[in-house]
Amino acid sequence: MNQQATNSAASQEILRIENLHKRFGNLEVLKGVNLSVRRAETIVIIGPSGGGKSTLLRCINRLEEYQGGKIFLDGVDIQQIDVNKLRTRVGMVFQQFNLFPHMNVLQNLILAPIKVKNMSKEQAIEKAHLLLQRVGLLDKIYAFPEQLSGGQKQRVAIARALMMDPEVMLFDEPTSALDPELVGEVLDVMKNLAESGMTMLVVTHEMGFARDAADRIVFISNGVVEEEGPPEQILKQPQKQRTKEFLRRILE
Amino acid sequence: MVEAFYELLKNFNFLLIGAWETLKLTSFSVGIGLILGTFIGMGRLSRYRIINYPCTAYVEFLRGTPLLVQISIIYFGLPQVGIQLAPYPAAVTALGLNSGAYIAEIVRAGIQSIPRGQYEAARSLGLTHWQSMRYIILPQAFRNILPALGNEFITLTKDSSLASVIGVSELMRSGQFVISRTFQTFSIYFGIAFIYFIMTLVISRIVRYAERRLSVG
Repeated sequence: MNQQATNSAASQEILRIENLHKRFGNLEVLKGVNLSVRRAETIVIIGPSGGGKSTLLRCINRLEEYQGGKIFLDGVDIQQIDVNKLRTRVGMVFQQFNLFPHMNVLQNLILAPIKVKNMSKEQAIEKAHLLLQRVGLLDKIYAFPEQLSGGQKQRVAIARALMMDPEVMLFDEPTSALDPELVGEVLDVMKNLAESGMTMLVVTHEMGFARDAADRIVFISNGVVEEEGPPEQILKQPQKQRTKEFLRRILE
Repeated sequence: MVEAFYELLKNFNFLLIGAWETLKLTSFSVGIGLILGTFIGMGRLSRYRIINYPCTAYVEFLRGTPLLVQISIIYFGLPQVGIQLAPYPAAVTALGLNSGAYIAEIVRAGIQSIPRGQYEAARSLGLTHWQSMRYIILPQAFRNILPALGNEFITLTKDSSLASVIGVSELMRSGQFVISRTFQTFSIYFGIAFIYFIMTLVISRIVRYAERRLSVG
């Protein structure tokens, strides 16, 4: 990192958010968010509910449209990228898993690669095997979502998103709907993914995960990035009053 | 009295042929209604006014006017503007358009019954709006609305008797034909009712069976 530090840092930037504004009617949710994400970086986004964390993620893959500011993926304004193409490059995992209940695990995984990326069925099935192995659910390949626990569902959802070979993965409170004893297995999968070099933006209340897996913690409150920095700094020595208050409340 | 039911038995085969025609007429019409209703139901949920206004108008108009009038417009009215349909196609058209409106409302409710997250998950994987509808939303919606569709089929089986007024030889018309020869109004109309009842009973059983099969898979 020392040689040509500025230069390589700039070329490593995969996602850049500039002065992002988002309104729902009269309610302004994002009031000028700025954020730069390097390739392979794991960012944990924390902050009070209603502060705009989820909305920010949903703007990045354009599930929400925004009124002001710009988002760049690998240097290109995402408004210039075909929206369906963009979504194959930016995967998303939801709080409620959103597995397709009328399809088994394998079908859940192979539908989009076949329909969107024109992958052959054989190739897609092979890839599904690899990814299910990676999330430890190969034995559930023919199970239907209703036969799975919450943790298993979320691991399938992660595998499903990975089927598209995304460059960035967005996690919108991936463990918030889980029973406490099932949180660990999902976080383990996410940690492995982070270590494998995936670029990840994770909205979560799991401070343990933030401490262990995050390269950077971003504290969002009132529609702006209040404070950001490495986990040790944000968790141990937060500078801003809002950050301190939030952490005190959540760590109690 | 004995003679009356003797005439019913004697002409029962003839009535059954009419019943078969009723079944075909209804099936064709529901088929058309299903295709029409699926698109119009989706159209009603479109955020584009140019799509959802006409779809809404269609549903409101066809639900708000009597089927008998609709049949009359198509069979007796259209020839005056140069569109001449034979009785059978006219009946299928009228019943199909009519059931399309009711099915559109059923489909709309079915789509709305699927959690928004399903659509978002599909779109977040790069599927287009149409792909998301076709592979994710509609299959789940149809499973949910199967009972309502079965109801619509039953309603239309009964309503198809109105096609008798334009001379389609379905069950009702066949019955009237038998009556014109035998003058046995009570037994024959009763026989017709009985056959309609058996048909709708069988349909509702089939739907219930299909429902159970689907809810397992």
